[in-house]
Amino acid sequence: MAKKTYDLLFKLLLIGDSGVGKTCLLFRFSDDAFNTTFISTIGIDFKIKTVELGGKKIKLQIWDTAGQERFHTITTSYYRGAMGIMLVYDITNAKTFDNISKWLRNIDEHANEDVEKMILGNKCDIEDKRQVPKQRGESIAREHGIPFLETSAKSNVNVEKAFMDLAQAILNKTPSKDADGHNKAVDIHKSESKGRCC
Amino acid sequence: MVFPSFTFLSLMFAILFRVLEFKSVLDAEEIDLKLLRKLAFSVGCPHEESVRSKCWKILLNYLPLKRQDWKKHLQEQRATYRQFIDEMIVQPGAKHDFSEREDVTFEDHPLNPNPDSEWSQFFKDNEMLIQIDKDCRRLCPDLAFFQSATPHPCVDVIKNERRLNSLRKRVEQSTLRSQIISKNRLGITTADFKRPKKSAYDDFVVLPEGEEAHWEVAERILFVYAKLNPGQGYVQGMNEILGPIYYTMASDADDDTQENAEADSFWCFTNLMSEIRDNFIKHLDESECGIGSLMRRFMSTVQDKDMALYLKLIEQDVKPQFFAFRWLTLMLSQEFQLPDVQRLWDTLFADGDRFKFLLYVCCSMLILVREDLLTNDFSANMKLLQNYPITDITRILSKAVEVSGRL
Repeated sequence: MAKKTYDLLFKLLLIGDSGVGKTCLLFRFSDDAFNTTFISTIGIDFKIKTVELGGKKIKLQIWDTAGQERFHTITTSYYRGAMGIMLVYDITNAKTFDNISKWLRNIDEHANEDVEKMILGNKCDIEDKRQVPKQRGESIAREHGIPFLETSAKSNVNVEKAFMDLAQAILNKTPSKDADGHNKAVDIHKSESKGRCC
Repeated sequence: MVFPSFTFLSLMFAILFRVLEFKSVLDAEEIDLKLLRKLAFSVGCPHEESVRSKCWKILLNYLPLKRQDWKKHLQEQRATYRQFIDEMIVQPGAKHDFSEREDVTFEDHPLNPNPDSEWSQFFKDNEMLIQIDKDCRRLCPDLAFFQSATPHPCVDVIKNERRLNSLRKRVEQSTLRSQIISKNRLGITTADFKRPKKSAYDDFVVLPEGEEAHWEVAERILFVYAKLNPGQGYVQGMNEILGPIYYTMASDADDDTQENAEADSFWCFTNLMSEIRDNFIKHLDESECGIGSLMRRFMSTVQDKDMALYLKLIEQDVKPQFFAFRWLTLMLSQEFQLPDVQRLWDTLFADGDRFKFLLYVCCSMLILVREDLLTNDFSANMKLLQNYPITDITRILSKAVEVSGRL
């Protein structure tokens, strides 16, 4: 039998315009490194990281999507399964911030109603190129009741915190393990017992 | 005294023999396309003596089969491409020079709300250009080639660089510099007029005026292509299709091939896109000819060739969108190193059954790791398929030949 390596599985999704740094944020979180030379994401990419929260081992399955509009038909199919969505814009590019409302509409249309969301203003290390004041990010987040952070994948600012906060928000909603689990997290005991019964 | 080993010598002879074999086909008055396809398909094109660049031009229907027509045809096509550059880059760029003031009383001007205004078109183009720019800067980052200067920059653009907005400058200008204006609690507004110390593109080497990096050439090709195909425009991933073609032309040992790499790559790319463009068009996704149906064909090939594997993918819900979408739209160009992609494309371009063989290649990639796929859990399988482990392209190709039944 497979060794149990985690207690809960959370599915997260990264969305936002092309070039805002989704892949870099994910790479910083999963490999603790920064790389400016990333090829553009075509379709979807995938990373796993296991973290500990509240005494539980949580396996984060993180989907990284392509930003360009063309890929939406391909990527919206992942919205449904996601328990947490990270919406990223680039503080040095006002256009990517203006599109936040478009992305929020996408979430409303395609994701589960109770999906946990978070808005990230990335590239906050490039202060002299800033086009979006922090207050604007905060106010749109407040308006929609969504947590907000400014991050820098390059200087490693708030990246770990962003993912952990999102995971924590999902965990808070997850009924404890002893309670009979019709919870949203995939109960691995259930999936493991598959095929062993009878 | 050290003698070259027997294996080394036999390898040298094998390469020499292969080059001669190709040359005998390429030097004929009329190219025997069937024979050329057969050769390229089975052994791949050597890059020596410009064999590969010539073969790709023929296999992608750029060069005509009669060799006596080549010179004239190339001259015409290259001149046409130059014309495109003039119409789409040089002239609009010169017209929209921001550095000189012009009288706009009766003329078109930047704030003209008329959708037919040339200025409004200019700004719309810039949006597309920003996307192309982002993607070309990150083209084949493992390779120094695309960041290095081309020995053959576009004369018309370079010559006018002071006067007009090169694509590079257009992108830089279209993101406005802003000041940080903040208001404190007492209502005092302060503006921070700090001079920018570094650019957002710090991590990219900016070449001096008069020089162009290879990625900038790729950017220009894609821009011209997108302008000529407005219904389709630029779609991310097209850069990954152009990359190997341009690299093959621009790194050829022959001077003339290198010098005309831009124009020739443009036409080869255009011809290739005419065969695979449906995969890039969103509104065809669910149609008979789009990427959706190609992924279905791929899955039914897998089902046909390896039922157990197919059932495993279905059971775990490892959808083709998760990996085959990228494999198929980019013709595997992101999955392997560039020289291996070239070898793979020799075969794909030579496929008489246009790109059906790609389905078999992708299918054989799954079969070659089937033991892992059958035992792994979902996450491990996703990791495996997103970072395909086998690097030996000839092994994959011979498996694909076996799977396709083309032995």
